[in-house]
Amino acid sequence: MEIDDILASVDSSGVSNPESTALDHQLFTRFWVAERSVPELLPWPSRLMNRMMERIQHQISTIEDLAATSSDPSNITTTTTVPGTTNTTLTLSILQTDLSRTQYLIRSLLRQRLAKLTKHSMYYLLLSSTSPPPIPPSSNLANPDIKSQQPEDSIPPLPSSHSTTSPLSISEIQFLHTHQTLLARHFGSSFLSSFPPQLRRLDDNAGGTSMVQGPDLRETVFVRCLAEQVTVVAPPGDGVDEVLGGTMRMGDVWVVRWEGVKEAWGRGDVEVL
Amino acid sequence: MAFPLPRGITPPEISFLAEMEMVTIVPRQRLEGLELLGGPISPLIPPRRTPVPLWLALLLKRQRRANILPPPWLHPESLSLILDTETQHQDYKHAFSPPPPLPGQPNMRERGQRPIARPRYTPEGQRYYRTPPFLPQNVARDQAFDDGEPPTLPFHWLEVGTMLLDVASDDVVDPDQTRRLLKELREVRSAKIRSGVDLLEDAATAGGGVALTGVGAMEIGEGRGFISGVVDGLRRIGASKEQARREQMAEATANGGYDATQDDDDDMEF
Amino acid sequence: MSYYDVDSILTDAQKLPCTFELDVPGLGILEGNPGESIKAGTRIDLPLWLGEMLSIGARLGTSRLVTLDIPSALSERVMNAFQADPRTVDLRSLAPNYYRLSERVLELFEEEEMIDILSNTFKKRAAEIADHAHNPKGALGDGAEFLQGLDETERQLFRVAHDSAKETRIWAGEAKKR
Repeated sequence: MEIDDILASVDSSGVSNPESTALDHQLFTRFWVAERSVPELLPWPSRLMNRMMERIQHQISTIEDLAATSSDPSNITTTTTVPGTTNTTLTLSILQTDLSRTQYLIRSLLRQRLAKLTKHSMYYLLLSSTSPPPIPPSSNLANPDIKSQQPEDSIPPLPSSHSTTSPLSISEIQFLHTHQTLLARHFGSSFLSSFPPQLRRLDDNAGGTSMVQGPDLRETVFVRCLAEQVTVVAPPGDGVDEVLGGTMRMGDVWVVRWEGVKEAWGRGDVEVL
Repeated sequence: MAFPLPRGITPPEISFLAEMEMVTIVPRQRLEGLELLGGPISPLIPPRRTPVPLWLALLLKRQRRANILPPPWLHPESLSLILDTETQHQDYKHAFSPPPPLPGQPNMRERGQRPIARPRYTPEGQRYYRTPPFLPQNVARDQAFDDGEPPTLPFHWLEVGTMLLDVASDDVVDPDQTRRLLKELREVRSAKIRSGVDLLEDAATAGGGVALTGVGAMEIGEGRGFISGVVDGLRRIGASKEQARREQMAEATANGGYDATQDDDDDMEF
Repeated sequence: MSYYDVDSILTDAQKLPCTFELDVPGLGILEGNPGESIKAGTRIDLPLWLGEMLSIGARLGTSRLVTLDIPSALSERVMNAFQADPRTVDLRSLAPNYYRLSERVLELFEEEEMIDILSNTFKKRAAEIADHAHNPKGALGDGAEFLQGLDETERQLFRVAHDSAKETRIWAGEAKKR
């Protein structure tokens, strides 16, 4: 079948080659669906995104060139075939639609990520930070610095090098740091500065309830098993090793906890629906 | 708010995704091949059948530049057979009719054979298996169904069917009957999701899960919030039990090995 | 307990029956007698957060200030009603955050049977909620009464089921956008 041949040849790589374009489009679409569906921020696919952005730039210049040629009156007079011009209009509208569809996906992805980042901002800042915040959370009154304690002191400094374990892109880390600093100053000037100094932090742990809230990895997701079989797990913790659970078979669609299939997703053995 | 939408793709987004499905068109005018961001498009040469993404097929159809050949399952005969499976067949009283097999998965006639998953590799070296909307599940075939293979509903059945009936009803066989059958299928299957609440407890346990195999993308979209809500609710009610069990296990591990026997039968079907 | 979660904070304020094990001078304010002391054996309803804190000794096995009791919303009488027909119970009148409260109580008391009854109740009522949420004409008669008695978790479930059914109908062109 023709279509199979086209899709089957997507293995070869190289940004300019049309088959790798198709593969990247599929990978990116799948990533978008997953990012929209899982509770936590997924690791930023920087190489895939670089290739996507490069192609978009290229496609924009193609469209601009084509539009310039078609709107140039000297060109129409020299072009003798009338169907040629209608075809340029059609080609342009197809290229534009294809471009808008891709741009829509990228915007949706970035906005979804921003929503996750700002919802759990302190959590992701601490996750991306390579050094601890200037004053540890359980600071006592004997500390001479405590008197000048301000909400923004809870914010860890920008990491000097990009940590490989952080799921954020470099621009996301910079955004989040600036965002949270502004927010902390705003909290400070509107009400936190009237609190006693030791109650001004944004990462307090007092009373056993942490102010730093992360996403709940036990939330439910819908997945399809792509490998021959995949075992759902109960992840290790509380002194218990990883426990194996039910087994999905190829083609199965399951409702499961995200934590139970997160590793399998990372291996590409399940897709999020 | 950076993003107002709930978690999980919503009906318009699911529809957008379904527009990436490949369908077969019969072009009515020529067009050179194009390099799109979604992949290459073959040149259009009337009246040669050509696979294109659904969004492009709809664009060409709206401008009367092409006709669309509906996929074999979008036919009153196929839909009636599937509806029979959904309503009459003992095995599918509480489950959806089987979906089209993935590449490497045995089809209905080869049942019992082992599936063989053959991944491709991404430039980053990760395994990649193709799935809808990037499988040819909605392209036209010469025969309605290959070699007596029973018809199946593809993952994006409701979206593709609805959009084709909206824009290209003159290309669909008996559009009124087809529309009626789609609606009936949707109702029968929606009732299955709602009556499956009792089984959702298995998805609320650590390591557990509930199978919804055969479910359509739009059906997940419609049921996602409710199903996740029930599962999360059940998990919270059972949280103290789960915690107690983990503490027992931790104690047993500390005292020299826990003999983990899985007492739950997790492989439940709706 | 989640720091910024309003439902979780509201649940923390729900009352729990507590019995004082010791005389406590000056704590009469809890009974509405400021300045007086509280006698051992006094039974007062205290908010969950306070009761939990005062009972900590009991859970550590050392001397305790109060012992906790299961609140009336989770009494045996209510459990029996659930077993008869979960759909007829007005959860909202028992506690607006009924399941959240149950979750907290179940952390304090080991009640395996109660977990089973509550899970079953939640499932049965959820199925009923789904049927009402999918009815585009809205709830009528008995339905309206049942929906009035939903607790906060169930209301959210109803809302999400109703909204996604409606969104799908809008997509299919069967309903109009507001």
